[in-house]
Amino acid sequence: MFEQYVKDYNEAIIETDKEAAIAVVEEAISNGVTPEEVVFKIVMPAVEDMMQLVIDNLDTNLAQHFMTAQIAAEITEKMLAQFSAPPEIIGKAVIGSSFGDLHSLGKRIVMGCLKSMMVDVIDLGVNITAVDFVDAAVEHDAQVIAVSSMMMHTATGEEGSLQIRELLHERGLEKKIKLIVGGSPFRYDKELYTSVGADNWAPDGISAAKIICQLIHEVKAS
Amino acid sequence: MTPLEILVAALTGQAAPRIPVFCNFLDYGPGELNMTPKEYFSRGEYMAEGQLKLLKRYGHDNAWCMSYVGIEAEILGCQEILFPKKGAPNVKDFVIKSWDDIERLTIPEDISQHPHWQTTADCLSILSQEIGTTNPICAYASSSNTLPILLMGMEKWMELVLMGPKDLREELMRKCSDFCQQQVKAFRKAGAHIILYATSFGTPYFISKKMIAEWAVPWMKNDLQGDAGGIVYYCGGAPMNEVVDTVMKEVGIGAYYISPLDDLTEAKKIINSNGLTCAAIDDIKMVHWTVEQTRAEVKRLIEIGKTGGHFLFGSSLMPLELPEENIVAMIEAAFEYGRQ
Repeated sequence: MFEQYVKDYNEAIIETDKEAAIAVVEEAISNGVTPEEVVFKIVMPAVEDMMQLVIDNLDTNLAQHFMTAQIAAEITEKMLAQFSAPPEIIGKAVIGSSFGDLHSLGKRIVMGCLKSMMVDVIDLGVNITAVDFVDAAVEHDAQVIAVSSMMMHTATGEEGSLQIRELLHERGLEKKIKLIVGGSPFRYDKELYTSVGADNWAPDGISAAKIICQLIHEVKAS
Repeated sequence: MTPLEILVAALTGQAAPRIPVFCNFLDYGPGELNMTPKEYFSRGEYMAEGQLKLLKRYGHDNAWCMSYVGIEAEILGCQEILFPKKGAPNVKDFVIKSWDDIERLTIPEDISQHPHWQTTADCLSILSQEIGTTNPICAYASSSNTLPILLMGMEKWMELVLMGPKDLREELMRKCSDFCQQQVKAFRKAGAHIILYATSFGTPYFISKKMIAEWAVPWMKNDLQGDAGGIVYYCGGAPMNEVVDTVMKEVGIGAYYISPLDDLTEAKKIINSNGLTCAAIDDIKMVHWTVEQTRAEVKRLIEIGKTGGHFLFGSSLMPLELPEENIVAMIEAAFEYGRQ
């Protein structure tokens, strides 16, 4: 029976059918599945499955990424309130769109996935200065700064990631805080992230969540 | 032959001395006139002068009568555009802040009479007078599935498309389709030869092929009202190969601005001689290429597409970070390898 919930939930995600996904979870809960099992054995594996589909370059689209993240975030938030004990948070990330950039879809996908993966993610919004990114990361004791840029001039401009790198260097924070970038320009040039001083990049929101988790583990292990 | 005749030859499959070579110098005008983007885009005269100077400097085929995409939102009530020191301006104030605003959204009866249309009209008028009989003049129009992004942001639009009330989504599509129809008509009337028809939700990178066929395509048909003359299908640089066949059959669009992320060989095979394959070089990668790498990539693309005609070489969005020598090398190589 549990396997059927997993299967039905995954199908709903692929079909971008939020109502069906929520119905599966509600039925599972009413039949005795715990909120912890819903998050860790249904929702989180579905996000990881989507990550794998993206990594394998199989046929997925932005709508599926968006819905995977959106549904995962909503269900996780509901289930967390019903957990028998607070879950262990694996780390923290601050996220925002770079200075001059008003696009917000990518970071919403990343945030949704991170929430379901037990990462505390702080949304700084859009059009964020480099100083605000670094100050917020320090204030929240975050291991990762995630910067979304959808235009070439915001991805490579001096007031964006380049300045964040400079500030991290000046303040001696490079080992404590990692910088990841994402957004359209980076998809066209896979080496572009190195020229803006980032530690890593992701071609989409789903992959970004996975890489952010890896960066958190790297910082914690160092 | 003039560049305009060369373009017509490529569209119709007639013999021509070379392929058309298009450059999308959308962000370069302000620098050409030593102006900020805000100052430059404030007058159609400046925009036309910038395009004419660029045409003279580089010798490519086409000019643009486009200011910035946010102008469409301004016609529909947007109060603030974010002008960077350099680069593309973007919409800061969304016209649709809540779903209730969709009902309140009004499409002007005649957008060509709207004050915000005037800069584009003035630019187009000057370009038509100066080069209208010799060079292709390009315009930009958002499709019904793309205009909502400028009105409410991609995040909220995606939310409405996938999770919101369908009647509200369709109401917004109807209004945006009405706007698109008017805009296409106005561009044609004012002398634009090419209309880049931007369809963000017309790529399988965004939504499923099923949803494109069942939802986006019928609205595209409504946008274009059975007349796809001069229309170029463009997905904002996202891949489109998998839907070209459907769009060609259902909507009748004959020209496709293929993404650098698409397989050009496959695109050419799909489109064949039934339409125009427009190959876009990856000019984000080109920022860090050498002149030799730039020439090699131009050669590679043209060798794939040139055989059999019905082919155009073009840039993508040409970021300002492109080295001057690479721009020159790209255009020179396109003329050299594009000889027929």
